[in-house]
Amino acid sequence: MTRSFELNTTISNLRDLKASDLSPYDAIYLGNITCRLYEANLLEHPDDLREAIAVVKGQGKRAYVTSYAAPRNDFLPKLRKALAVAVEAGIDAVEVHNLGVLKIVHETHPGLPVHIGGLANVYTDAGAEVLKRFGAMRITPNYELSLEEIGQIQRQVGLPMELLVHGKMPLGISDYCFLLEYEEAWGIKCPDLCQQDLFLKQGDWAMKSIGKGVLSGRDVCMFEHLPQLVAEGHDCFRIEAVSESPAYRLEVGRVYREALKRAVAGMNGMEEGWWNTLRSHARIGLCNGFYFGKSGMEYLGVRPEAVASAVRRPGADAI
Amino acid sequence: MIELLAPAGNLEMVEEVVTNGANAIYVGPRGWSRRRDAFEMDDASLRESVRIAHDGGAKLRVAFNTNMQSREIPDLLRRMETLVGYGADGAIMTDVGAIAVVHRHFPELTIHASIGANILNNADVAFYREIGVSQVVADTKLTLRELASRKEQLDVGIEILIHANYCYTYLGKCWMSPYHRLERTIDDGGKDLFRGSPNRGGLDYRVCLEDWQLYSGDTKWEDHVALKNDAFFLLDDIPHLIDLGVHCLKIQGREYAVPLVGAIVKFYRDLIDTYEAHPKGERFDLVPWKGRLAAIQPGRDAQRSRGTRALLAEGRIPVAAIRRH
Repeated sequence: MTRSFELNTTISNLRDLKASDLSPYDAIYLGNITCRLYEANLLEHPDDLREAIAVVKGQGKRAYVTSYAAPRNDFLPKLRKALAVAVEAGIDAVEVHNLGVLKIVHETHPGLPVHIGGLANVYTDAGAEVLKRFGAMRITPNYELSLEEIGQIQRQVGLPMELLVHGKMPLGISDYCFLLEYEEAWGIKCPDLCQQDLFLKQGDWAMKSIGKGVLSGRDVCMFEHLPQLVAEGHDCFRIEAVSESPAYRLEVGRVYREALKRAVAGMNGMEEGWWNTLRSHARIGLCNGFYFGKSGMEYLGVRPEAVASAVRRPGADAI
Repeated sequence: MIELLAPAGNLEMVEEVVTNGANAIYVGPRGWSRRRDAFEMDDASLRESVRIAHDGGAKLRVAFNTNMQSREIPDLLRRMETLVGYGADGAIMTDVGAIAVVHRHFPELTIHASIGANILNNADVAFYREIGVSQVVADTKLTLRELASRKEQLDVGIEILIHANYCYTYLGKCWMSPYHRLERTIDDGGKDLFRGSPNRGGLDYRVCLEDWQLYSGDTKWEDHVALKNDAFFLLDDIPHLIDLGVHCLKIQGREYAVPLVGAIVKFYRDLIDTYEAHPKGERFDLVPWKGRLAAIQPGRDAQRSRGTRALLAEGRIPVAAIRRH
């Protein structure tokens, strides 16, 4: 019998949700974890969140609500409200990145499935065991962990591990949006500042800036390693497209869905067109993150040319 | 009385900070704390640190505040047993699993949640309290209002960093350094040093301090973009923090030169003692203290600047190219 899997992604607001073709995905995480002022962040707009959950569930998909990566005391009342609205609207799970929020969810919504996010810093099986006692049903280990370490946690704790298989990996969360310093010079105001596809570069170093955080410049890409991930027992996969276009979400999602179908069926082989799609959306190139125990920006595998973004998007200027 | 907690990256620094009035010091066992191994200690030095601290009337805490690997936890327990045997008074920790395991094995040991645990809200504090932590380091970005709320509502000690780095990111929530350069190095004791990953105990290449250019897509918009990252000395808030009843004022700086760290400890010792001795209700004049601090700061800034330049250069050394096939 062919195994099932879940492919999911993240969407921050209702506009992006409605503009996105969700067909490649089984589940959607709703909300932006980085900034309360992110344009129409679903975590700050209960009516939008209610509608978004209905949109996702109306398409027969699971709807998850995410939560802030670094919530201070004054975030919590709004977050409690968002959680209440989400539960009332039939959310399937909540993702938490903060252990205080985990405690709140455990106490106020016992029984609600909790997914531990990658910024909750699960590094050890002992840590995962603690969070399991607080209701964790699924864990995204910290992005810094290798597949070997993730496998040990999975075996010891018996919970599914969710893996970021494609997209930009978080590299830092801040309370300060340095982009606000450029509002006047650029003539662009918040919340449009962080929507400008911004990259910090120096030599061959590059990171994507989202104002209150930085993401990897290169897109994490585990495309050619999907058979290994499936063989190691993983079945929850995420395409991190929170700062990407609806086209990225759809085209990258389609490629992964097809490749995952083949992987779970035990079939080998990837189509060249799939690689072209992935490379065309990776402005800086591809990497493997930390899955193989190396520097996060390295790419390990049989497709070393994937490191360079060989196919440029139409209209893109040369650097 | 409020506790003054000082760093020690070597035995000479232990002597220096105890002599200058630290009530407690913290040290790192090699491979297990949030500093590069050059500023950590072997067992013989740790044992001697405990002796020096206790002879000087100070407590000694051991920083096991890395995010280690699952398979390293048994070794952590063995190391902890050794340190507790030496007479260590507390452990500074980050990983929730390691905290829970250590608390189960050493229920009498005081566990301090490290700055790397990134404890930001009162529910966070309650969570860590529940798993065995009795004192937490406040994130440098928290306001006095947030700290006052915590003090009122929760039965947990608060530590405030009074000399530290104010990073662009929250501590414990930054992976810029290992993204650009991570080196897996196993030391003689079998500990993976994770050079390049501050969360895992290796050095931090301070990638954030690079002189960045900002592009929108492929078009350069700005040159010389700096992600905010300053070293700070807390001064104006010290009287408020003492009045608020925080438990501990903590100085970071194991990587600085011994005389500089000694001068910083002496400055804060004198400030705390003078403030606590002055009549309550009377105005406390901070102006002379600002003058004393101004004499210390240039030396600190120069050492920090040299350290940052060296780390950025080191971070540019490529890790050997890796191919699987």
